[in-house]
Amino acid sequence: MSSLPSEHGGSGLLSRLPGPLRPRTSEDPGTGQMRLIETTLLVIVGLVLLIATVNDLSRQASANHRLQADLTTWRAYTGHDYPNIESDQELFGATSQKEVVCGNTTPGAPKSRTQICLAVWGPVVDGKRTVHGGWYLPANAEDERSLRYGCFGEEEVQELCAR
Amino acid sequence: MSVAAQSLSTDPARTRDARWTSALNALFAVLIVAATAEIVIDASAGHTGVVPKQPATAGWLSGLGVLLNYQIFLVALLAATAGYVGLLVLSRRGRWARMSPRSTIGLILVLHAIVFVGPILISTDVFSYIAYARMGVEHGINPYLHGPSVISRDPVFAYVGHDWRRVATAYGPIYTLLSYPLAPLGVVGALWGMKVMALLASLGTLALTWWCARRRGFDPAIATLAVGANPLYVIYGLGGAHNDLIMMLLMMLAVALSIREPHTSGREAGAGAAIVVGALVKATVAALLPFMILSRRRLAPVLGAVGALAVGALVGWAAFGVQGINVVAALNRDAAFVSTDSFATEIAHLFGKPGVFPVDHILLKAGLVLIVLHLMWRTWRGYDWVAASGWALLAISVTSTWLLAWYILWPLPLAVVSRDRRLLVATLAVQGLFIAHQMSPLLVPVR
Repeated sequence: MSSLPSEHGGSGLLSRLPGPLRPRTSEDPGTGQMRLIETTLLVIVGLVLLIATVNDLSRQASANHRLQADLTTWRAYTGHDYPNIESDQELFGATSQKEVVCGNTTPGAPKSRTQICLAVWGPVVDGKRTVHGGWYLPANAEDERSLRYGCFGEEEVQELCAR
Repeated sequence: MSVAAQSLSTDPARTRDARWTSALNALFAVLIVAATAEIVIDASAGHTGVVPKQPATAGWLSGLGVLLNYQIFLVALLAATAGYVGLLVLSRRGRWARMSPRSTIGLILVLHAIVFVGPILISTDVFSYIAYARMGVEHGINPYLHGPSVISRDPVFAYVGHDWRRVATAYGPIYTLLSYPLAPLGVVGALWGMKVMALLASLGTLALTWWCARRRGFDPAIATLAVGANPLYVIYGLGGAHNDLIMMLLMMLAVALSIREPHTSGREAGAGAAIVVGALVKATVAALLPFMILSRRRLAPVLGAVGALAVGALVGWAAFGVQGINVVAALNRDAAFVSTDSFATEIAHLFGKPGVFPVDHILLKAGLVLIVLHLMWRTWRGYDWVAASGWALLAISVTSTWLLAWYILWPLPLAVVSRDRRLLVATLAVQGLFIAHQMSPLLVPVR
């Protein structure tokens, strides 16, 4: 911030304004109170952004850890080591940490075969989480309630099926 | 022998320190160059999550590296950032500890050359630019009315990002017209044209940064280093051939014209006009205009801005109709987008919300308005208008729900020539947080 001597830059009408409203060509050094307030606010905003960034980073790292465990769980449960497996974090709620993991039941392009979806949640133990139920989907179908069939597992999971 | 050199030669401790800092400077410079080269060479190996699908423009490099995955990219980005921070920290220790101006220019030119010869990095935006140009020139379609999906048989369409295929251009009419001569060159020719434009705009921005820093009494080499060796500027900005670089060139031209003495009416009118032309490339730079006008308090910049706006609007209207000059609609549309990297989204997560809600957009806009009003008041009372403009651009990027790496480059050239050093600290801190936020794939490897 400039600490040059104060100068009034107004002319004509502007010079008739009261002192505090009059334009200046350089800042009044003053007591530095404005700078102190601004710096304090900047530090507070900076701290909030820092905390939000660290929180988000830890949230993403935890989600990555969970999702990797979900893929391992799906592969261990079905006995298929397929690369194309999809995970849905929204179905049970974005903050529920309950995921649905879907993949083909036989080899083929993504979603081109009958798919099996597993509802997975709970802590990660030995790189895997607990399967609480699931359902099947026809080939070439998205995971929509009306298309789910053969539901199994806990009541909370079975409630997500139409038939 | 200069006084500084004499004192160096007679003080053994200082001489030893100077040798160490010289070696460290070289080490940091090599680190940035190696990390950038690693990214470019591996990116040449083919399309990945970090390297958009694109025609082969760096085929001669393709056998040298392996496919660039997120982990390698992030490690290289961290290494480049560490080298950059190291150079800046050393530069603060005194003249004897800084890189020489010649070495600084050499480093920046090497970084530019490496990125220029490589493929497009990170973003598909440049293919949207080419698609809009080809829509207008090759297909006779107004890019302000339709997205690239209307030219789905055009060879560029395959490279346009999925999210942008149905989106009409949000860029200003001057930029769209500037891109039109590249359209007949084919996709590869246009891509090289875009890369050349980005390179020249970047070098022009850096030259003006050097000039402005010297005029304002700062070390021009440090100021230029802080911009030209910045990893986000080099890897994301130049690497993606973003048109933000053209906007920043016009922004720095306005600053240079405004601070050049004597302050003639012609220069001040030119400064106002440069901001408006910049806004007709990308609207964001219009944020500088109120601060310049409040600071100068003369008719010349207003007349320059109004004149440029009248000519630009007429050209835009003649070429594209009323949609070509309806910048507000494009800004409102983009303001509704939400990216995972925005600070607004991070704060929403901090408070347990799944993301940004419509009410948050209103709160963020209100906050931005308050900040801008405060800065305008401060400028009226003598605060440096360049610093105020930089704060405004920083506030725009921090409060935006759609934050991309090249948006937090906007305030950087202003920060290095502003009289408020807090702006540079804040800009670099925000960039640091942005880089940190990218790092989650490094914490848990995802197969």
